[in-house]
Amino acid sequence: MSDKPTRWVGTEVPRVDGLEKVTGAARYTGDLKFPRMLHAVVVRSPHAHARVRDVRLEQAARVPGVRAVACGKDFPFHVGIYLKDQTVFATDRVRYVGDPVAAVAAETPEAAREAAARVEVDYEPLPVILDVADGMAPGATLVHPDLGSYECVPWITPKGGSNVCNHLKVRKGDYEAALRRCAHVVERSFSVPQVQHVPIEGHISVARMDGAGKLEVYTSAQSPFTVRHLLSACFKLPHGDVRVVVPHVGGGFGGKAGINLEPIAAALAMKARGRWVRVLVDRSEEFYAVVVRQGLEATLVTGVDKQGKVLAQKLLYLWNCGGYGGYGVNVVRAAGYTCGGAYEFPNLWGDSIGVYTNRPVGSAYRGFGMQEIHWALEQQMTMVAQEIGMDPVEFRLRNCLGPGKSTVTGQVLDEHSGRIDLCIRKVAEELGWGDGRKEPNRGRGIACAVKAPAMPNDAASSVLLKFCEDGMLEVLISGIDIGQGLKTVAAQFAAEALDLPFDKVRVRGLPDTDLSPYDWQTVASRQTWATGNAVLRAAENCKQQLLGMASRAFDAPASRLRLANGTVLDPETGRSLPFERLVMGYQFDDGHTIGGPVAAAASFIPEGLIFLDPETSQSPKPVAKWTFGAQGVEVRVDPETGQFTVERIVGCYDVGKVVHPSLIRGQTYGGMIQGLGTGVMEELLLDPQTGRPRNASLTDYKIPTTEDIPEKLEAHFVETPQADGPLGARGVGEHTMIPTPAAISDALFDACGIRVTRMPITAEKVRAALQAKKKEQPTP
Amino acid sequence: MNVRPLEFRTARSTAEATALWAEVPDAYYLAGGTDLLIQMRLGRRSPARLIDLKRIPGLSAIEVRGDGALSIGACVPLGVIAAHPEVRARYPLLAECCLAVGSYPVRNRATMAGNVCNASPAADTAAALLALEAAVEASGPNGDVVLPLAGFFQGPGKTVLPAGALVTALVLPAKAAGCRGSFHRLSRRRGVDLATLGVLVGRHAAGGAGAHRVVLTAVAPTPLRVPAAEALLDRQGAAAAAQAAEAARAACKPIDDVRGTAQYRREMVGVLVARAAAALG
Amino acid sequence: MTQRITVRVNGIPETAEVAPDRTLLTFLREDLDLTGAKEGCNEGECGACVVLVDRKPINACLMLAVEADGREVVTIEGLAKDGVLHPLQRKFLEHQALQCGFCTPGMILTTLGLLAENPSPSEGEVRRALSGNLCRCTGYRQILDAVQDAAAELRGTGKGAAR
Repeated sequence: MSDKPTRWVGTEVPRVDGLEKVTGAARYTGDLKFPRMLHAVVVRSPHAHARVRDVRLEQAARVPGVRAVACGKDFPFHVGIYLKDQTVFATDRVRYVGDPVAAVAAETPEAAREAAARVEVDYEPLPVILDVADGMAPGATLVHPDLGSYECVPWITPKGGSNVCNHLKVRKGDYEAALRRCAHVVERSFSVPQVQHVPIEGHISVARMDGAGKLEVYTSAQSPFTVRHLLSACFKLPHGDVRVVVPHVGGGFGGKAGINLEPIAAALAMKARGRWVRVLVDRSEEFYAVVVRQGLEATLVTGVDKQGKVLAQKLLYLWNCGGYGGYGVNVVRAAGYTCGGAYEFPNLWGDSIGVYTNRPVGSAYRGFGMQEIHWALEQQMTMVAQEIGMDPVEFRLRNCLGPGKSTVTGQVLDEHSGRIDLCIRKVAEELGWGDGRKEPNRGRGIACAVKAPAMPNDAASSVLLKFCEDGMLEVLISGIDIGQGLKTVAAQFAAEALDLPFDKVRVRGLPDTDLSPYDWQTVASRQTWATGNAVLRAAENCKQQLLGMASRAFDAPASRLRLANGTVLDPETGRSLPFERLVMGYQFDDGHTIGGPVAAAASFIPEGLIFLDPETSQSPKPVAKWTFGAQGVEVRVDPETGQFTVERIVGCYDVGKVVHPSLIRGQTYGGMIQGLGTGVMEELLLDPQTGRPRNASLTDYKIPTTEDIPEKLEAHFVETPQADGPLGARGVGEHTMIPTPAAISDALFDACGIRVTRMPITAEKVRAALQAKKKEQPTP
Repeated sequence: MNVRPLEFRTARSTAEATALWAEVPDAYYLAGGTDLLIQMRLGRRSPARLIDLKRIPGLSAIEVRGDGALSIGACVPLGVIAAHPEVRARYPLLAECCLAVGSYPVRNRATMAGNVCNASPAADTAAALLALEAAVEASGPNGDVVLPLAGFFQGPGKTVLPAGALVTALVLPAKAAGCRGSFHRLSRRRGVDLATLGVLVGRHAAGGAGAHRVVLTAVAPTPLRVPAAEALLDRQGAAAAAQAAEAARAACKPIDDVRGTAQYRREMVGVLVARAAAALG
Repeated sequence: MTQRITVRVNGIPETAEVAPDRTLLTFLREDLDLTGAKEGCNEGECGACVVLVDRKPINACLMLAVEADGREVVTIEGLAKDGVLHPLQRKFLEHQALQCGFCTPGMILTTLGLLAENPSPSEGEVRRALSGNLCRCTGYRQILDAVQDAAAELRGTGKGAAR
């Protein structure tokens, strides 16, 4: 952190991957050509829950052009990032409609389809559980009878003999005693359906195992090293014999975190040695066959005193994890240690419970559980404020976190933790909160957001810096630029630290695990912070190498020299050496050389993180950092139809340091609109009996278009430097979609006195709520 | 993409097209193809032969006939129809309904004939075509036919078009020119969406008895005219908006689906008919 | 059974034998290696595959290659001339009107079609024209700004109009 004026960080540099993206030069996985590539089709379960008695591949294998067939018998291997509860193909049972049962690879897509149709699967249907209540009911059918024997990381607590794949308990203060002292108590329930990420590029992976046994995978993924790690573990291959390459990625939003189609591609590749095999999902399968966001059923009890201070808070979050919880169990955990959102609750009883059902698989989704819990918590805070006749903004300011305040895990925040109060005030000011303006059927609402990077404590990043002969710097990173602008940001930090002209930096960000430095995953809004720090460290190392050589070349103390726009300068003598004279080693006039090619690797790993207490989840530092923010919206309602228009969204986030103004605005607008989509129109609908998807297409699962966005989108930022952030920066990518739905719901209440507690807020629900309200209060 | 080998033939005349159709089983006519190609990809239709109609002279033209009627060729894309000066000046409701279909790139391929032949209960152009009392002109193996749009739709995906007949044009009668009104639709989102329901209320220029049109989409097995509501408006004009709305509510037969419930649709038919009727002034 | 077609693609006549059920999108991407047009949904809903056919934006996933016989196709690869970006491409860069970039080629080509028909679109007209091009990253705001700025430049009234 430094107050020194910056040359590149904080400025409008060009997006470094922009040119290739506007010219069509950028190649995504599906754009790559592989010689004699085989086409795969995955056979997926039509049943939401069934025992698999037998899978017969003989007929499929006989179809001309078929080169590989595979099913669970061939690869009875478990895979999963946190909880190994899934196999490459179903072995004993299928647990959701779309569960992979077998796969074929053939010379043509037609032959593959034909063969897939000839795979014979003998299913014995089992009772289907779609709701968490059914999953939690005593005597419920077990989705994973063997749950107790699955391998998992130590900080996940599946409960064998039940459908609970994780349970985090948060206990702070004395909730029961505090509740008795409360003047008012509000209890409400909220729910969030499963939704889909809808990246415009769907999931796709291409794999080959060569004659020497090396497995290569090209894949649209957020985490090449995690893919390599999990493939190695699954197929029992040395990491060094697995190579994962990630070309350009057409959107991820968490859906391409962890591991997805790669094991299927790998399994087929092992069966068709020497051949490239491509596996993809079509747009329909993208909705249910790969991962979705978990559903949530939340029940909140809030007790306040007469002054509007929350004394007691109880939270029950029941997560609908779907058929597998490999990744989703960590959403359950994150929602636990963040269960109180942006508020200080002195006495709290929180439970975050992941429940298996026979729905599609819940996993990471931008915000990692936070939009869902804020949907509940933020509406609850407004309702409590209204119950005691206090302004909701005032109420939030009275109860929110800040320096010196204690989180639900007992962590005491300091002056570097970010300021939610400043964000709330900024948004309120922009909305004209409290100006008394009230027009019929128009309303305003505000909601807060907080999120920490939800990741293992040892999630690390590393980078490699090296130079070209002409003095151009190459920055190798393995964080993925999924659109957020990571490559540009990495270039900014590198150019800043080495005082290079911006166009003298190239970021190599299409990682290849054979060649690129390690990075855990591009998730958790962690890249600007983690990779940014690693880049600064590596740049410092390069700088010392350059100064060291120049010091000998100039015969001047290194401490006197400085970097200046691609040169090393001796300010005292005015002598300078351009980088190109140094980066491959320096040669004196008589021909002797010193140094050598300048290069440096550096790492970043968060420090000082302490595991949660298993019974209470108390920890002085459970996560690396928090990012706070708030959004306000204005809506206009047509009370006869229930249709409403979100006319304006204003956001304010404490990002520590704005690294790139228009990129961070883009992140904010994008998050707001993804938040709007989930808030008002998105829901994965399943048939209530069979669990089959009813709207698995873009025709019937709608995401916002240009015609659906508000007239005004505004992004503001507070810059309270993050102590361990690169130049003070902290992550914000996910946070921008967290508060939007709750703010819209509050604005609708303000507009017409109705409240929708089941996301999404459709026109039909608004209309129904208005009708119900009319019945309650008949007009005289 | 197609599940079986496909033959693609380009017809140069309607006679050639119908002959090509009669030669093989499972031949399909191809105009814009924006629905047919999706059906083929999903395996719901698997033609053995496609007969492209777009190079038949005349099928891509919009022409004013001697009697003042406007003929719109079967292969004219929706975007071209909506932008055509004759359509905009004389049949503005049709332009409005054309623009409600699909997206801008889709409207550069999709045709009104295709929209009508698909016979979706939610077909937006059907609202205007029914209100304007358009006719479908078709050529078939057994000669040419003219089919009034009223009665053309038989149910979802079903029409009275004889087997093997191809629509050559949709014809708007001269007397329908100047019909004014509005088309209201509700959908889950504003940009590019199938209608949850649609309501068109119009008044023909001549006025008097039989001047009003009330057409509903996506609330019955076919797009639906509501004569009872029309009669009310004929007698009392906008003053009968509420009764017309009630008549429309009574006439519709909506279902529950992923776009909305039957109950919401029925209520909204009332709201939108009342609004559109009131807007007539 | 294949059929011989000749399509002028980005100004170059391309003759090929194609199966009748090959879409224009597959033809461009696989036979000509012009992968700028993306396959996002194959159902005409996402707009990632939009190219210009006879100067009109269309969904290449909903058109057969054989239907393009004798027609003129422009893809994103054909916009820049001798390494000089088309003003629309430049404005998309200047306004950060892209993130992951997957929708960008289709978005730019749909806009190009619009501006050819309507050089001075209102924001509402731009929104309407682009509503068949889905973007999950940007929230569209910077795209709409880029389009207006490019339109101004192409009309010769914007800053830096000379090209």
